[in-house]
Amino acid sequence: MKKLTSSIVGCSALFVFAGCGEQPQTIAAKPGQSAAKVDDKPFGPGTQFADRRAWEVQLKARAENQNEYKRVN
Amino acid sequence: MARMKFICDAERCIECNGCVTACKNEHDVPWGVNRRRVVTLNDGIVGAERSISVACMHCSDAPCQAVCPVNCFYKTEDGVVLHDKDLCIGCGYCFYACPFGAPQFPQAGAFGLRGKMDKCTFCAGGPEKDSSKAEYEKYGRNRLSEGKLPACAEMCSTKALLAGDGDVLSDIYRERVMRRGRGGDLWGHATAYGRPDAKAATPAAQPAPQKS
Repeated sequence: MKKLTSSIVGCSALFVFAGCGEQPQTIAAKPGQSAAKVDDKPFGPGTQFADRRAWEVQLKARAENQNEYKRVN
Repeated sequence: MARMKFICDAERCIECNGCVTACKNEHDVPWGVNRRRVVTLNDGIVGAERSISVACMHCSDAPCQAVCPVNCFYKTEDGVVLHDKDLCIGCGYCFYACPFGAPQFPQAGAFGLRGKMDKCTFCAGGPEKDSSKAEYEKYGRNRLSEGKLPACAEMCSTKALLAGDGDVLSDIYRERVMRRGRGGDLWGHATAYGRPDAKAATPAAQPAPQKS
């Protein structure tokens, strides 16, 4: 009888506490905050452009070159 | 600080698909994924046909970024909307949210299994080391870090598609409109194919040659 009771208690305990070992599967994303890795900047040490100013000057020149009125005339 | 934008002049676009091809080639975009495409309205109707090149418009308040459940989107200091493919779960929410149909999903397996989202990066790569192999394989070439503008705009033969800082683009477009007049008045479809009222000015048809 004791064995039966202890086995019933053991089984029910196993059943009751089964959920405790479960790992959380929710995503740790917070609204309004990007979870993406940090992206490199296109300027600074190790790049073609010393600073933001140099990079912006290059891009502006390139963008203005799309204006054929200025390019041709 | 620059605010990177695209603008497509529907009066100039001739639907050559050069931008689409340039993008495909520059980034080795896989089959079935179209980061950029040309949409034509009133196709075949003379005088009313207009084409426009569409891709991610790098929205100031991007809806894709708002709906992403894993927050894989981010915006650079220059307003380019990018995403981290290592986080993307391919749920497709961004596709439903985007008004331009920019997010694309490669087929990743049998039964229509979706892969990670792919979209126009404004040729700015992604969150990997600039110009690295990993960046190229995931996001394509990083032209912006080389001081170049997106390949689609630089390749455009009629300069219908412009890319760059929003202020510079506004200046170019403003000058263009001031010089040519509104719409297709001086430059564009009407000039190339004739205005509706041009029939009166058309010379009379040549008389048929007489039989001898």
